[in-house]
Amino acid sequence: MSTSRSTRESLAVYLGYGDAGDSSVEQKLQDMKRRKTRRRLWTLVGLVLTGSLFYASLLVIKFNLAELVGQVDQFYEALLEYFPPTTYLGVPFVDVGAYLRFIVEENLILTIEGGQIVWGAMFVTMAVAFAGTVLGLPLALFFGVMSSERVVPYPFNFVFRGTMSLIRAIPGLVWFLILIPLAGVTPFTGALAIMVDTTGYLGRLFTDELEEIEDGPIEGIRSTGASRSQIVSFGMLSQVFRQFIAWIAFDLEHNVRAAIGLGIIGAGGLGLELYIQRQTFNYTEMMACIILIFLLAASVELASQRVRSALRDDDDVEQSGIVEAFANAPKNILASTMGRRER
Amino acid sequence: MSTLKVDNVSKQYGEVTALDQVSFEVEDEFAVLLGESGAGKSTLLRCINGLTDPTAGDIYLDGETISGSQTDVGMIFQQHNLVDGVSAYLNALTGSLNRVSMVESVLQWQSREDKLRSLEALETVGLLEEGHQRVSQMSGGQQQRVGIARALVQDPRLLLADEPVASLDPSSAETVMGYLWKAADEHDVTALVSLHQVNIAAHFGDRFIGLRDGQKLFDVRRDELTPALIDDLYGNVETVGLAEQKKTVEDLIADDPDDSDEEPMTETQRGIEA
Repeated sequence: MSTSRSTRESLAVYLGYGDAGDSSVEQKLQDMKRRKTRRRLWTLVGLVLTGSLFYASLLVIKFNLAELVGQVDQFYEALLEYFPPTTYLGVPFVDVGAYLRFIVEENLILTIEGGQIVWGAMFVTMAVAFAGTVLGLPLALFFGVMSSERVVPYPFNFVFRGTMSLIRAIPGLVWFLILIPLAGVTPFTGALAIMVDTTGYLGRLFTDELEEIEDGPIEGIRSTGASRSQIVSFGMLSQVFRQFIAWIAFDLEHNVRAAIGLGIIGAGGLGLELYIQRQTFNYTEMMACIILIFLLAASVELASQRVRSALRDDDDVEQSGIVEAFANAPKNILASTMGRRER
Repeated sequence: MSTLKVDNVSKQYGEVTALDQVSFEVEDEFAVLLGESGAGKSTLLRCINGLTDPTAGDIYLDGETISGSQTDVGMIFQQHNLVDGVSAYLNALTGSLNRVSMVESVLQWQSREDKLRSLEALETVGLLEEGHQRVSQMSGGQQQRVGIARALVQDPRLLLADEPVASLDPSSAETVMGYLWKAADEHDVTALVSLHQVNIAAHFGDRFIGLRDGQKLFDVRRDELTPALIDDLYGNVETVGLAEQKKTVEDLIADDPDDSDEEPMTETQRGIEA
């Protein structure tokens, strides 16, 4: 009887709700224990909540491990088609020739016919991204600058800020679907979708950059008796000019990946080619497209990163080498197609 | 040739009185504003430049009321307030913004005179050779000299400087002040400069205006500036004293090792003696 009571008491002391002494230090110790107990309870609640949400999600997507195991053989067969094996001088290796044949046959890169250059799917994708970026740039600049509280006084700047939020709330893929009645299921519509997307995202990046400028140069320009628009361009924009160029390079990089995603839903280029090959179960040809996508995205990323690190005063952009750029490409393509961006 | 007249200027920031009925007149002089931090020196300069409006009182330049920032008043800031990312030349050229339209200025279609004026201003502050360099790559003293050049390009009638050498080492401070003095002298403009360093002030100034708690404490000429006045202004601070003044401004500029290879300074009729 006395043992169980003392156990109960020591448990109460352990949790911080016992009677542990009168000195202020001992009292504080009890207080600290109580805080810890509460923290643990909240952690437990969090874990239970996450666990149940995860379980519910698995039910919704009908997660089935047995099905995965059952399909392993089929996936293995697909892998053999993705990477057709052959031997070079007796050494087994992936049949690179098969990819190359398809790339040339379908003119995925470019050919010259009778003195005329015929641009392939890879350049269509590049063109969608580039045209979209250039078209969106003036709009992004306009909205980005007008959203800054220093240019347009609060609350009027929220008109521009709100417009950009609205644009960003709708993923680029959906903008493509919205704009189809305007220019059909074409690369043109793809470029328009990227233009809209660029306005929302690049404009926001511009605004963020403008928030961090210093007052000094603005006052300096103001003191010379410059006009208001001159104060904006010389006092404010001149402070962020290099950062803007860096963000434009970054956005172009992002837009190339987005253009591939748009291709899959009809905007042409490598994305469309990839989609057709998958629909017709030509897995080797599909992998050839993926390899080209990989090369394109990684090259643009590499170029963009060089530009950015050359432009930045501070070395806050990682100096990523060729190997890293190529290693990051799949992750970044995935992130962009899903409409996510990392700064 | 110009006259700055400050007439009963007061400035309130909410409950705080930054300036209390300050009046003085400066004509073709190199005037120095002295006073503790918070005495109202910066506020007064900002009022004259139009970066803030005085609560009461008027400011006249050559008999005309001035309000708002204008090209007639050149300002040099403690923190330079230059555009860091571009060259010294382009920074100097921003002094001419008032004379060109927005589009012209963005495309750098300033007149040939303005472009030459910018380079001449850089020459005045001994930075012609460095004109193409980005400001962010320059030393603090050089940046401040670019600030002086920008103010000169405005072709001002009045030159203001708000603690132009407060963040510089003693040697750079001396050089910058020397160029500022030379600029005011060559362009024949009135200058009003706030300074913390009493010895530098005593070396360069013709006129000394002391501010304490927003009020004018004294307004004296060089020969009337006594240690007693300085003690009065700052309280009895042991380390503040009037330094020996032996060299001329020209000697100071010529002494600077950075500029030793420059062409000799033009002769000015000025010699400062102790």
